[in-house]
Amino acid sequence: MKRILRFATGLLLIFSLATGCSTADTPKQASADPGGNQVSPAADQQVTLRFFHRWPRDPDKTYFEQVVKAFEQENPNIKIETEAVLNDAYKEKISVLLGTDNPPDIYFSWSGEYAYKFVRGGKALDLTSYAQEDKAWHDQLMESQLVPFTLDNKLYGVPLTIDGKTFFYNKDIFAKLNLAVPTTWSEFLSTLQTLKDNGYTPITFGNKAPWASSHYIGTLNQRMVDESTREKDYNRATGTFEDPGYVEALKKMQELIPYFNKDVNGLDHEFARQLFIDQKAAIFYAETAEVRLVEPKTKFPWGFLDFPAIEGGKGNPKFLTGAPEGFMISATTKHPKEAVKFLQFLTSKAQAEKFVKDVGKYSAVKGAVNANTATPLGIEAVERVTAAEGLALWLDTDLDIKIVDAYLAGTQQMLNGEKSPEEIMQDVRKAAQQVREQSK
Amino acid sequence: MFARQRSRCGNSPSNKVSAQKARQWSPERLHCLFIHLGGNDMLQRKYAGYLYVLPGFLLILLFIYFPIVQNIQFSLFEWSAFSADKTFVGLAQYAKLFHDPIFYQALVNNIYYAVISLIFQVFGGLVLAAVLEDKVFRKISPLFRTIYFTPVIISITVIALLFDFIYHPQVGLLNGFLSAIGLESWTRAWVGDSATAIFAAIAVSQWQSIGYIMMLFIVAIQKIPQELYEAAEIDGASKIRMFFHVTVPQVREMTFVTSTITLAGAFTVFNEVYILTGGGPGHASEVLGTYLYQSAFVHDQMGYASTIANVILAITLLISLVQMKLSKTGEE
Repeated sequence: MKRILRFATGLLLIFSLATGCSTADTPKQASADPGGNQVSPAADQQVTLRFFHRWPRDPDKTYFEQVVKAFEQENPNIKIETEAVLNDAYKEKISVLLGTDNPPDIYFSWSGEYAYKFVRGGKALDLTSYAQEDKAWHDQLMESQLVPFTLDNKLYGVPLTIDGKTFFYNKDIFAKLNLAVPTTWSEFLSTLQTLKDNGYTPITFGNKAPWASSHYIGTLNQRMVDESTREKDYNRATGTFEDPGYVEALKKMQELIPYFNKDVNGLDHEFARQLFIDQKAAIFYAETAEVRLVEPKTKFPWGFLDFPAIEGGKGNPKFLTGAPEGFMISATTKHPKEAVKFLQFLTSKAQAEKFVKDVGKYSAVKGAVNANTATPLGIEAVERVTAAEGLALWLDTDLDIKIVDAYLAGTQQMLNGEKSPEEIMQDVRKAAQQVREQSK
Repeated sequence: MFARQRSRCGNSPSNKVSAQKARQWSPERLHCLFIHLGGNDMLQRKYAGYLYVLPGFLLILLFIYFPIVQNIQFSLFEWSAFSADKTFVGLAQYAKLFHDPIFYQALVNNIYYAVISLIFQVFGGLVLAAVLEDKVFRKISPLFRTIYFTPVIISITVIALLFDFIYHPQVGLLNGFLSAIGLESWTRAWVGDSATAIFAAIAVSQWQSIGYIMMLFIVAIQKIPQELYEAAEIDGASKIRMFFHVTVPQVREMTFVTSTITLAGAFTVFNEVYILTGGGPGHASEVLGTYLYQSAFVHDQMGYASTIANVILAITLLISLVQMKLSKTGEE
């Protein structure tokens, strides 16, 4: 008996060695929010919130550090631990983190389907009651930007930024060639032809990371397909993508291929942007969030050019492609009140103005982008976003990732001349069918 | 030896110091524990050895075999990383995988990887090693050995980023070089072109790994008795004949080792492809490793990713088995 006992102790020792790393976490975590810290009851309890976003680089990084500091000073009982990783890595990490028992309390999310999948997975806190409680705070957020964070009439996220896609064009080159701003697709194509004939690269485009093409497709789909059909197809449970407009949309994209620079699949988006800045290309399809990256470096006048209306298109040409980005709160957080408080602080007018000024992105808080905080181009960009009659969300965050993948892989091949629009749509329909079956 | 120590492990606490000592964990104590478990000397001789390998065995069980079994179990479910419920689907995901054109595309790319790596790394590495070990190059061979080995110690991430600049279609070194020597028509978007993307990634691996394989062969060649070469020389054999008739047969063991390493590496490759092409354009340069990663962390189909992982395991296992059978040894 004694021997067996000793043998068991030996085994236990070995196992505790082996699993030491995983069990060691639990007590640490429990002591991270030490409720029993002697003194006072609930109100003054020391609370630690974990905050996870996707901007490890400046100027965003510094801005968030300052916000956290300011918030902690105002609320000495709340401590915020920040962690940040860059875009693609963020997408992968957040999915895994939310699957663990210990997800971050506040986390960044893109809007639309990207956010909805967290909601469906039960990972996002319903914020509706908090918004109703603090009407003043809720009302100062742009309503149109709340929509992509709302599912079944419930609010699940707080938008931080607004963003829209539009063409940037080099006014110098247009003036030199006596070109007018095109408003229809055929005018647009003839403008591109003139640019090409005069030795300019008409449109600069880098699609090595294939999300870049998703913005073209998203806009073209919206322009070609009527609203209700598109809405039905973009819904996971009902999407079939049988409307001929989708093939037409890809054909329109195909029409642009001769006017892009060479090697689109070998260049990244940043390089394409640089070609525009260096005046090697006349037009660049970019996000308003990129104004801050382009404006300080350009030595020539440039402006915005709306995506032209397409003859025969059934979608509303006054729509804009774009989407807010924002934050969500974990459904399992122990401190929902404090987490909401932080988001309210983050989207207060004062903080939003500071955000616009320091970071150069545009806030979803009404009036935060003004003459004090942004350049005239920036104000114009925001006006374009807010004046749009509706938003077509980024295709790559609005659709299920399997459909997105069929689209993006196919488009890369179409740009290389290896796949036709019809073949791409076949793949998309197949992916849509899988998604439909899954969502049952 | 055991008998001598056994006296110190007696249960009678006559010696206070040793009793105190026994309460703490010490190698002696551990040994005593094992001896107690053994009971008497005969049993002890029989089992004590097993007990000593037990900790290592348990660790391997816990960190290697347990995850493998668990992974096989995972592949029978359809599940997402951030949702707790798993749906049992049986072997459906294997059926799906074997009907997935991207899987075959990836498999073909892996086979390209394997074949090209065998030719360049194993055969090329052997030639390089033989050249450097030749008497003629004795003086300068340490320098070249270092040069060829340097890429091995550079992080693969750094290398892939470096080659990103080399392959860049507009400002890259490779296209610049081709234009400079008048081969303008050969320039292309190396990683953006479906026809060349996978080979661009394979080329990076060859450049990086050939030094390592070469080093292994140099060690093997140095062990070949010099007399064999002297005898061959007296018989009037040329350098090339000596290579094929002395060096190649003598490093046979090492050839099996290096080809196992290379083949297993070719089927588990990930970094180079992920950083250089991301599997694109389309899925033209997808390999099993990147497809696994995509399925798991981008498409969030964890079960499908497990399925791919199991297939990779089966392939590499098969290769090692075949190779072990072929070599019939395992001495080195």
